[in-house]
Amino acid sequence: MNENALCTKTHEYVLEQGKQYEVGITDYAIEQLGDIVFIELPEVGSEFVKNEAFATIESVKAASEIYMPISGKIVEINEQLVNSPELLNDETFEDKWLVKIESSADQVEFADLLDYSDYKEEIE
Amino acid sequence: MTKQTFLHDKHVKLGAKMVDFAGWHMPVQYSSIIEEHKTVRTAVGIFDVSHMGEVIVSGEDSLPFLNKIVPQDISKLIDKKAVYCQLTNKNGGIIDDLIIYKLEDKKYLIIANASRIDEDLNWMVRNKVGFDVSIVNESHNYSLLAVQGPKTKELIQSLGVNELPGFFHIKRSELFNINVWISRTGYTGEDGVEILVRNEFSEYLWDKLIETGHQYGIKPIGLGARDTLRLEAALHLYGNDLDEETTPVEAGLSWSIPKDKQDDYNGKETILNQLQNGGRKKLIGLKMLDRNIARHGYDIYYNNEKIGVVTSGGVSPIRGDNIALAYIKPLDNLAVGSTIQILIRDKLHNAEIVKKPFVEKRNKENK
Repeated sequence: MNENALCTKTHEYVLEQGKQYEVGITDYAIEQLGDIVFIELPEVGSEFVKNEAFATIESVKAASEIYMPISGKIVEINEQLVNSPELLNDETFEDKWLVKIESSADQVEFADLLDYSDYKEEIE
Repeated sequence: MTKQTFLHDKHVKLGAKMVDFAGWHMPVQYSSIIEEHKTVRTAVGIFDVSHMGEVIVSGEDSLPFLNKIVPQDISKLIDKKAVYCQLTNKNGGIIDDLIIYKLEDKKYLIIANASRIDEDLNWMVRNKVGFDVSIVNESHNYSLLAVQGPKTKELIQSLGVNELPGFFHIKRSELFNINVWISRTGYTGEDGVEILVRNEFSEYLWDKLIETGHQYGIKPIGLGARDTLRLEAALHLYGNDLDEETTPVEAGLSWSIPKDKQDDYNGKETILNQLQNGGRKKLIGLKMLDRNIARHGYDIYYNNEKIGVVTSGGVSPIRGDNIALAYIKPLDNLAVGSTIQILIRDKLHNAEIVKKPFVEKRNKENK
């Protein structure tokens, strides 16, 4: 996982990339979920506010809602993961982001996000 | 206080992910549920199912007592044979599903669900009035190891047990000089055995079975794969597919209800009536027609009317699609091949009614 990512306590991350942000779930979340068998992502163009559920990831055991770390508009979804959800479990596969968003979130929205190093401490 | 089996530390050392299940701290997976599932379908897996309950029923009236509490006819049971049955209440609802073994004349072993052992014992004690019978909970003295998969027979034979018990039979045996009971039963749809051993020998037996089983590809299997395996085999899970509001007829278990049993038993009137006229609901098998996954509790619709609910659902690692068990109202126009809808996150998704089990069972023909 990219060390510059900011994480939520519900195990999502957001990573700034130029004018966009990449949103996904943390490596810890993937490990906890186990075999991932289904991923449902929103339509490009849809908008979500911070903490709103925008995607569903299902492991063999259960379905989990994934929440927006910051408010934003979906500009791209990771179709490869929708077609092959098991790639999330593949350690050699790198493109594990779920969606890319445009966001005009202010500092307040970032205030409760954790640096990756703090997040790692939090989960230990 | 969560209970631990005698193999708890083994699971932790093997790196298992542990969860609470029915009051026990149990391994849900060691590596990957899908990999573990495939191991059992293609080679052999070992499960710690020591959380299951063991009850010994013995005494002069043990046969009439058992015949009162289950619809099965226990008088037909010969020595060292087992039968699948249900503990029913007065309305025919299922208190638990059990395997009863006849160990010898007037001595029976009951294997019960961990989540139901207390209710089972209460119910049995309430029903023993007038019977000369002793009911002893032996659960805390015994561990239960399930060895399941097509390589089971070879593995067990390599340990000097040349003749395995037949399907749904049990035999006293020795493994690594330890006294055990071996029964040809399981919860996977594969050939396999369940080994009952006193707690103090369970760690040694577990280690030896894994060591010797290595050449047959043995792997430890967690409760996660136990659930996907039993679902593919369309075997019921108590609490999901069976409960006190559901009769054996409704649960598709009519094959375990003899029509000619003379003895009265709890719920007999309702059960015999339902055998004639059908139940209030019926258990069906479903396969999803898209990639969505049906889960326990999801509602089922037909022509925009709610007609039932999913009780167990998930992926089928062997078929590669998603399957479910569900109860629906008995409607004349619905049969195998019909399409119904499942409500998943506010959207209806098509599913087809299919035959159960979802995979071919490969346990019954084994000798």
